[in-house]
Amino acid sequence: MEKKIGVYVCECGPNIAEKVDIDKVINAVSSIDGVAVVEKFKLLCSGDGKKFLEDEIKKHNLTHLVVAACSPKQHEQTFMEVCENAGINPYLFQLANIREQCAWITEDKDEATEKAIRLTKAAIGRVRYHSSLEKKELECTPNVLVIGGGVAGIETSLQLASPDRKIYLVEKSSSLGGLVTNFEKTFPNMSLTSDVMKQKIQSVNENENIKVFTDAEVEEVLGFFGNFEVKVKKRDEDKSSAEFNVGAVVLATGSTLFDPKKTSQYGYGELDNVVTALEFENMNSSGKITLKNGKKPNSVAIIHCVGRDETGYCSEVCCMYSLKFVRYLKDKISNVKVSNFYSDLCIPGKTYQKFYDQTKGKHVDFIRSADLKVTKKGDKLNIEYKDENGSKKNLGADMAILAPAMEPTSDASGLAEVASISIGDGGFFSEEHEKLGQISTTTEGIYIAGCAQGPKNISETLVQADAVTGKILSSLIPGKKIEPEVKISQISESFCIGCKKCINVCSYGAITFDEAKKISVVNEAICRGCGNCVAACPSGAATLKHFTFNQIYQELMEAVQ
Amino acid sequence: MIKSEDNSKNKCAIVSSKSDTKESVIDFLKKAMDEGIFDAVLIPMMTPAGDSFAYVLIKDKTLLKDGAPLSPIMSVQGAKAVSSVTRLGKGKMKIAAVMRPCEIRATVELSKLGQTDLENITLISMDCPGVLPLSDFLGDPKKGMKLFYDAAEKWDYKPMRPVCQICDKSSMIAGDLHIGTLGAKKDTFFIISNSQKGKNVLDKLGIDPKESADSWQAKVKTITEEKHKKREKNLKELKSKIGGLDNLTDTFSQCINCHNCMRVCPVCYCRLCYFDSDKVKHTSEDYLKIAERKGSIRFLPDTTLFQMGRMLHMSISCVSCGACEDACPVSIPVAQIFSMIADETQGLFDYVSGRDIEEPLPLITYKEEELNDVEDSND
Amino acid sequence: MNEKEGYLDVLVIGAGIAGIEASSLLSNSGRKVHLIEKTSYTGGNVIKFEEVFSNMECSTCMVAPRQQELLQDKNINLLTLAEVEDVKGSFGNFTVKIRKKARYVDLQNCIGCNACFEPCPVSLKNEFEEGLSERKAIYVPCAGALPNVPMIDTENCIRFKGKDCKACQEACAFEAIDFNQKDEQLELKIGAIIAATGSGTFDPKQTPEYGYGKIDDVYTALEFERLYASNGPTEGNINLKNGKAPKSVAIIHCIGRDQKGYCSAVCCMYSLKFNHYLKSKIPDIKITEFYTDLCIPGKSHQKFYEKMKETGTDLIRIQEAKVEKQGKGITVKYDTGKKKDSLPVDMVILATSIEPRDDTSELAKVLGISLDEYGFFKEEHLEASSVTTSKPGVFIAGCVQGPKNIQNSVSQANAAVGKILSLSK
Repeated sequence: MEKKIGVYVCECGPNIAEKVDIDKVINAVSSIDGVAVVEKFKLLCSGDGKKFLEDEIKKHNLTHLVVAACSPKQHEQTFMEVCENAGINPYLFQLANIREQCAWITEDKDEATEKAIRLTKAAIGRVRYHSSLEKKELECTPNVLVIGGGVAGIETSLQLASPDRKIYLVEKSSSLGGLVTNFEKTFPNMSLTSDVMKQKIQSVNENENIKVFTDAEVEEVLGFFGNFEVKVKKRDEDKSSAEFNVGAVVLATGSTLFDPKKTSQYGYGELDNVVTALEFENMNSSGKITLKNGKKPNSVAIIHCVGRDETGYCSEVCCMYSLKFVRYLKDKISNVKVSNFYSDLCIPGKTYQKFYDQTKGKHVDFIRSADLKVTKKGDKLNIEYKDENGSKKNLGADMAILAPAMEPTSDASGLAEVASISIGDGGFFSEEHEKLGQISTTTEGIYIAGCAQGPKNISETLVQADAVTGKILSSLIPGKKIEPEVKISQISESFCIGCKKCINVCSYGAITFDEAKKISVVNEAICRGCGNCVAACPSGAATLKHFTFNQIYQELMEAVQ
Repeated sequence: MIKSEDNSKNKCAIVSSKSDTKESVIDFLKKAMDEGIFDAVLIPMMTPAGDSFAYVLIKDKTLLKDGAPLSPIMSVQGAKAVSSVTRLGKGKMKIAAVMRPCEIRATVELSKLGQTDLENITLISMDCPGVLPLSDFLGDPKKGMKLFYDAAEKWDYKPMRPVCQICDKSSMIAGDLHIGTLGAKKDTFFIISNSQKGKNVLDKLGIDPKESADSWQAKVKTITEEKHKKREKNLKELKSKIGGLDNLTDTFSQCINCHNCMRVCPVCYCRLCYFDSDKVKHTSEDYLKIAERKGSIRFLPDTTLFQMGRMLHMSISCVSCGACEDACPVSIPVAQIFSMIADETQGLFDYVSGRDIEEPLPLITYKEEELNDVEDSND
Repeated sequence: MNEKEGYLDVLVIGAGIAGIEASSLLSNSGRKVHLIEKTSYTGGNVIKFEEVFSNMECSTCMVAPRQQELLQDKNINLLTLAEVEDVKGSFGNFTVKIRKKARYVDLQNCIGCNACFEPCPVSLKNEFEEGLSERKAIYVPCAGALPNVPMIDTENCIRFKGKDCKACQEACAFEAIDFNQKDEQLELKIGAIIAATGSGTFDPKQTPEYGYGKIDDVYTALEFERLYASNGPTEGNINLKNGKAPKSVAIIHCIGRDQKGYCSAVCCMYSLKFNHYLKSKIPDIKITEFYTDLCIPGKSHQKFYEKMKETGTDLIRIQEAKVEKQGKGITVKYDTGKKKDSLPVDMVILATSIEPRDDTSELAKVLGISLDEYGFFKEEHLEASSVTTSKPGVFIAGCVQGPKNIQNSVSQANAAVGKILSLSK
């Protein structure tokens, strides 16, 4: 069909009209092959302007539209809608920015006019080679897989579960609750945890829209957002497996603690009465804080930052729970002396300093120290350390509690591979964007929440769980279809030679390899149209819709010649 | 695979040979076939007409005696030959491929690019004295053969191709087994294994690699250093000749767009070369516009663009084998130029093409910290 | 779970990063959002920063696409220069009265050419630029502000004080300036409310020992952000009052911490960020950071600190510091606890505490929610999700709930949306 390109230059009031000789521009492009009509208009984005364009398209039976006006960020959407309303595919349109990129930044009128002519010619050169693109719609399932039955997993499941959205909650161990079930109390309010946790676990078990798998692991996650195929393996006698479809996956697998056996300086595993924070929590929950010999400790050293050098980050919660431990001890053992050995006190936020101020007091020391070593002296422990002035000091203690760094669980990297997401700083799951996308990943539909994303406290974990809820509830709506990106990559079956360079550079896992045909195939639901594969493909088998070689070449040639 | 730099620490086997090393290598292969270690051997052989050499996949071991492991010319690049055997997937046959180091390296690169399956292929290399320029040989094959074998015996590179004369990787081990002739005592040669696969072959043949390869390593070092010096000198001269856009365009001005260089290149694996596709074709209007702008336009256009484009696409994997230069009908020194650039592009990433099958291709491997010296210092 | 029937529209108060993210997410789900912003621009405090830690991304580049989407999203009704006056009703059934001040510039007609600024005869200190530069009575707070439409500051515009000045209207070729616009009162039927009005910063005039306001070249963190900003009053040139570039800078942490009684969570990190700012503009500059405890929690932040340490900056732990004038320059007198010393510097940057905004208590009354002892909005449970308040249907997000960094504010915004969507269908 013969192309009929309509070119319209917007005066934008004095903004373009005063800086660019629009009539010259019109003259320069009128005789270009394929250009059916060239007109100017005062303000194309106005109601009148849009109506004018629609009428023009219909009057001249235009097949393509070029508008020379402002920035695409401003009005590309506007004019694409005009095209749609007038019956042209909205992608057969190009907007040349002769305002922000021309009139507003060029002093000399002749220069500005020349540039405007180039930009308009470039848009015409390009639009000629545009193809119609259609929006697609994909069916999806609103169900969700939550991996990890700790605080984050439980909260997410309870928030999301509903009659039209089933939740599959997979827990590695034999019971729900995660690390928090070990704590008697949580900071800063020191409220009792176990009742709250019991209630929540009961809610989960009683919720008919949540299917819980314990002693189970996720073996396989295939597919894409809206359509994941999941395989779960159970560690029961039958080694049975379950398969089901979900629309989104939430990784809430929590964390573990740095093993102090990895360093020799704390005597953990060798000396009696050196315990980790978790072991102390359990001791406290059982009601009896005792030494190995059954007696109560008179003096306790709490050692912060264990493993911090090895892991390379601050685990955020240890200073606070160490203060909590001081309170545990003071509640259960009168006149106990507690010494906190720390490097920097990390107590951010509006409530934590108050907690610290109220934990200080009689028989509670805060000793800033370095080069700490725990040794045995008689039947007591001896803490050797360098104080703030660098002088070597010693302090005896009956018991030493180590506050180890928070680390990702040992199965984190395996799980990341299963879910096609990356591992980032510290070995934790990598978020999509440090600032604006803490709980999403580069794989659409896969979310992360809680300590699996990085060390944090319970309140922040719950916020993340609710944030994931927000993301899922707003994007995976029962009955609503998903509209994937239109300007995506496509790989020619006949030209692809199967070298997999494209698969290696795709950050979104959007390209798979067809073993039978030995070619790469783009998953249209996941592809975001970044173009990495197109750049990497040496034979040009991969092309990007709306950014084909010819489109870019034509635009470039007109712009720079 | 163990990196070739470590080979001096490797143990090897010293095998007694007949005075004709070639014959001994054939015997070795024959024995391996007898023992069922290999089902077939891919090795160059003189054509029946006696005027050239070609890679042949030999199943009948009686035909092995006609094999010519170090042929005087590189007719088809060995990597092209061996990779096409398993291009569409591995078979059940166990194949030994006897080739030059650069051909083995190219095979390794092709394997990384999914173009060949090496699971059932054992790659065997030999110390390479170089090859004669194809045109020199074809004029008088009999003379060429004598010239080559005499020169090879003395390790004299003067008759060899320009790119072979400056090759400092002529004894590089990148395959499974390497046959070392340099530094070997009379009537012996070294066999060095470079992988588990290679070691298994030696095991099955009852060859226990327990000798030191030091004398081979020493001779290789001497020769490599010598050639490296020549390389630096030659490439420096070449650089001054082709440096700058004008010189570059002049260098390639004789190109007749036959694309032979691309076709014989083992690393150019695309089904349809980008530069043969419609992507580089334009409408007559566009050509006229260019002619208008510049005054005139050469046809076929895009000669320098093709050369530079091909370089951009394959330089990281270029093994400096020189097949391209043999194939060029107008004798442009493409191999020397591409080899020089390959040194630089691969050097940026501390990469040597084909040296290690586990080593990922640099351009498609993401590293958080990379190329810091070319980053903007104000970042 | 309760499924509330009732109005589905959501009111988001505050178009800072938390408000923007909440509105976007709600709009994605198909809900209609009324986004109320007190000032004339969106983006809040985050767009005042040139770069953000720890990926040192350009802040405007990060936020601008979101701000732009806001303006074009059909589900989001952005009302700038608007405040919530009254809230009646309950979750699912709120009636909200909004007072929308007139901008006196038509949002449809104005195309953002800025021609109206030049002829305005009134010059004032620009609040967005922390008073470091001037604006007119008709103005946009900074280059690149969105929506890119000026407003008339009626407190200072001479026309609104009685004089017959039409300078801006005469300069406008689009008939965009309309002195006859009137303040509006709107009534909205709302299902749920998210309050995300952000926070302010401690005024160091309250701690005269740091010399702020008395000694030249002592800046607050926000002032320094604007100095470094490429769209700021000096276009990113860091100069002393005498026009020269500083050779040495002292950054003092924890300003106001004792007075407020809490750690503001972000200052150590942004002080390290400032280190990078300074080194990138003045590579030989000597920087000294005076701090009490280094607060850098999280998997990525210590890495950032290690990188900054490599630039040769001194970190000195102190118990007390004083800033005094010394000849033409400044000296920081400090006490580390084991010794007292002084350091001459050209410039001092004060990392000021985050505190609630002045209007937070008023808004709390209007919404019917309580404040905590520091003046921030109070969450229902400290150990639960911190976005719910004691009033069902009213949620809080961002620094209005307490000091935090951008990622935690955004997560709270998403969490508030999660709560709303799960509690009301």
